[in-house]
Amino acid sequence: MRPENYQAVSQPPSNEYELNIGPNHPGIEGNYALKLKLEGDTVVEARADAGYLHRGFEKLMEGRLWMQNIALVPRICVPDPAHMEVCYSLGVEMLGGLEVPERAQWLRVMQLELSRITAHLFYFGGAAATMGMYSNMFWGVADRDLVLDLFEEFTGGRVYSMYNVPGGVRRDIPAGFLGRLSAVLDYLDSRLEDYDNLFFSNYVVVHRARGTGAMNRQQALEWGVTGPNLRATGLAFDLRRDDSYLVYDQLEFDIPVEEGGDALSRILVRRRELVESIRILRQVAEHLPHIGGPVRCPIPNPLAWNVPRGESYARVESSKGELAYYTVSDGGDRPWRVHVRGPSQMHAVQVLENLSVGSRIEDIAQIMFTLDACPPEVDR
Amino acid sequence: MDKRREMASWLDKVLEEFQGVQVRRKGHSRLRVDVDSDALPALLELLQGRAGYVHLSAISCVDWIDDGEFELVYHVWSYETHSLVSAHIRIPREPGVYLSIYDLYKPAAFFERDIYEMFGVYFEGSPRMEKFILTEWDGPPPMRKEFDTKQYVHDTFDWQEYNPDWLQEIREKGGGIVE
Repeated sequence: MRPENYQAVSQPPSNEYELNIGPNHPGIEGNYALKLKLEGDTVVEARADAGYLHRGFEKLMEGRLWMQNIALVPRICVPDPAHMEVCYSLGVEMLGGLEVPERAQWLRVMQLELSRITAHLFYFGGAAATMGMYSNMFWGVADRDLVLDLFEEFTGGRVYSMYNVPGGVRRDIPAGFLGRLSAVLDYLDSRLEDYDNLFFSNYVVVHRARGTGAMNRQQALEWGVTGPNLRATGLAFDLRRDDSYLVYDQLEFDIPVEEGGDALSRILVRRRELVESIRILRQVAEHLPHIGGPVRCPIPNPLAWNVPRGESYARVESSKGELAYYTVSDGGDRPWRVHVRGPSQMHAVQVLENLSVGSRIEDIAQIMFTLDACPPEVDR
Repeated sequence: MDKRREMASWLDKVLEEFQGVQVRRKGHSRLRVDVDSDALPALLELLQGRAGYVHLSAISCVDWIDDGEFELVYHVWSYETHSLVSAHIRIPREPGVYLSIYDLYKPAAFFERDIYEMFGVYFEGSPRMEKFILTEWDGPPPMRKEFDTKQYVHDTFDWQEYNPDWLQEIREKGGGIVE
């Protein structure tokens, strides 16, 4: 090849390219994709791509009896199913004017907080895995299994409990259960130091997560961020306290906040929430023996139950943020409309797209996971 | 707490003066407001700017097919007064067009796109009126009441007999575990 014949071939700059992340990758609990435009390894544009887990729950629920839907709702969010059941039940109870017995409310709180613990343990494992640390993941999943054993014992199901019904819960706890609950709580308490050493105060984690995917409080409010992600920007807001439901107003617990708004703050807020959940569960274990009475109120025949015409908006603080059910009845035996508002509908779409821009490609999985995005909640 | 009560009574007063608004209190922290569809953006602007309702919790759509209307419900929450206002409007089912509130609330983009995809309601001014979840779906918007899921399955798919050997063996034994 002679030099005079040589001509450079014109090509687009090779440092600009597109990359699809997903639908299967370590940054997410489920199938979800991000379409990225990159310059070098910096993201200049991100587009969320959902729909891999769409099962049409809202439509299916319109075709089933009010009671049958209890079997469907927990499947909308796999890592934290208890909040789905309770929120749906609260909505139907508002419509039907049902008074839930006090003992059932305490049992629901117990189920919700145990579910929050399982979700957070899962989260710690996943967040660590996005930084290449797998021991924490195995620990998290193994410790979560102990809580799942408790679920199996008092609800019959390990993951999808279907423990709630409109009007209360299906059955009371078995004899000696509170002792076993306390034993698991003691064990989890004793493990926290190990988790701290391995993960939360690990030099690599702190330096890797500090400043990653950071947002300030104003941005968080503008983008509709809720739950632990909002508390990681310094706003002490929790629906359990500030729009209280069940018996949370009778319980003592703090609302942990962090100021950074970055991945590290989001991880640490959840670490401290885990402690608060254990604290709540200890109070439940202490109070429950003193509260008698039935675990559900009488309801009409569930196969021919025409819920009065009306609409209700029930909200709970799930492990990921604000979860709400808008339920409409036309006076029939099936819902006319059920709309599920999950926290990930904000976190996994707009917030994730905004936070991805300007960050480096190796941080994308970490940003995704620390936002605790749950794709089935987006797709429904 | 007093400040919250003050705000609540102030809000009641303001809403009374608002044209074409029907207010119903549902519980201590819930307010249902029925408003003309023309007046909704002004109402939301007032709630957001003057009463601190900065959080759009959700936009829900309900298909009232017999009335020929869609009901849109805007749930907004105030971190200051700790109360939720649900503003209800009705729009005609045909042509099913309404205004976007993206300028006021950024989270509206998700809900509006979702309603566009599931109910076919077009929101003028919304940033991304495109498919999101049902990318490969070319049928009618599936959450509309006239779309019958069961009928669609019957029309689209063939029934298949499923009777494998192992199942026959179990049936012959009268059920249970095959050894």
